[in-house]
Amino acid sequence: MHMTPVYIAVLSTALYVFGYYRMAFVYGGFLLQLAYMVLRGIELGRLPLVGPHDTLFFLSTSIMLFALPASSSLKNRQRFLNPVIALTVCFMLCSMFAKPHSYPLPPVLKTFWFEVHVAFSFFSYALFGLAAVLGVLYLIDREDGTELLQYKTILVGYFLFSVAMIFGGIWGYYAWGTYWLWTPKELWTVILWLFYSLYLHARLRQWWTGRPAAVLGIAGFVIVLFTYLGVSLLMKSSHTF
Amino acid sequence: MSNNLKNTNILIKILKFFLSLRTAIWLLMTLLCLLFYGSVVMPVREEFQSLHTVPLFQWMIDNSPFVTWWLWAAIGVISLLTANTFLCSIESVMKKKSARQWMLVISPQVVHIGFLFILLAHLLSSYSSFRGTAVVYENAGLRLPNGNDVLFKRIDADTDPMGYIKDWSADVEYFRANRSLRSDRIRPNSPSFQDGLGIYIKTVQFRPYPVAMIEVSKEPGAVWALIGGMLFMLGMITLLLLKIKKEETRG
Repeated sequence: MHMTPVYIAVLSTALYVFGYYRMAFVYGGFLLQLAYMVLRGIELGRLPLVGPHDTLFFLSTSIMLFALPASSSLKNRQRFLNPVIALTVCFMLCSMFAKPHSYPLPPVLKTFWFEVHVAFSFFSYALFGLAAVLGVLYLIDREDGTELLQYKTILVGYFLFSVAMIFGGIWGYYAWGTYWLWTPKELWTVILWLFYSLYLHARLRQWWTGRPAAVLGIAGFVIVLFTYLGVSLLMKSSHTF
Repeated sequence: MSNNLKNTNILIKILKFFLSLRTAIWLLMTLLCLLFYGSVVMPVREEFQSLHTVPLFQWMIDNSPFVTWWLWAAIGVISLLTANTFLCSIESVMKKKSARQWMLVISPQVVHIGFLFILLAHLLSSYSSFRGTAVVYENAGLRLPNGNDVLFKRIDADTDPMGYIKDWSADVEYFRANRSLRSDRIRPNSPSFQDGLGIYIKTVQFRPYPVAMIEVSKEPGAVWALIGGMLFMLGMITLLLLKIKKEETRG
């Protein structure tokens, strides 16, 4: 483990833990995460989005980035932020087990399309994660507002994920000569996209609103985790770490 | 008369099937299951290693149905989904043409049209894409499938003090019937296009002499995929903005 990110992670975790008692500490933890990402970006001269260390940390920060404004519309903000803090800290601590990728990037990765493709993918993963948290909260408290916020979160996440796929296709075309490759990662990306397409269409039907939609939103995040971590670690693909 | 009635009833039933949101949901579920199966078998079956070398349809014909059945089934489901999307979009616009917020009605349909364009792109690429790789030396020429010749005049690379290749490039010149067409430079993420074919450098090597591993490719669906992607994004942005605006008005 590299010590600087570990200190940041420990300090940030401590702030988030205090955040269970006072909201200001949550902002402190988030700002510290943000500061680390900015410094790492300056050190690398690019967005820190390559390798499990940087991507897990980026995901963790993105979850909080979207959770803070999303929580403002909820009656019980702390009830939503408590599991979100746990999720954020979990991904941040997981990122500490991976060595930071500080080597120069291969020439094909040095492009705007790649950076936007990856950044938007992780923004959408973060939103899908928040949607899963909202789904669990809905199953517990059955508040319609929670399920509506889950829907809105998924809608924005779906948009960002679609944009990430389109930009990935443009990058792929300029880098490899094709906008589509038949690899498990691409296939799982489509599975994920189709799954959330299914959610958005199913929710239009009365039967699917409420509990089934909330369950779909939770299941979606399981697919997100497999698409991001499972495929990269278990299957041979163009997107391996 | 009764036969006509029977036929009409069957047609109405088929139309209802394609106009149903339930159909879309079931088709999406089936497609998800097929792709899930595909993602599991792909890494373990050797046949899939050659999937990128030929157009998809040709690969599917060349290989055993025991290997390709899920792709055939997925194409079947996608065809039904295409008809479903198309008809549902038409019906939605016709039903709600007098609605006050017409943009809110049309935006999802723009998303659907974008999706259909992307499917069209895949159809074209699956039918007639081309991919070929070659190793070329500096000052060597290559005959391309479209009849053009390409000369690799110079292969260059920029390395950092640690020895990592930071950048590479190749200066090329196209010829047709011994007449020079134009010169170009190929770099990472900046291929050279001429008469529908793209030339990409995969990697370069300098010892014992400059060599580039290149790929020549034709992707007939690329333009349609781009149009589809842009329509999809446009539809989604409009939809999101209108939904947010609607919520604010409600609030």
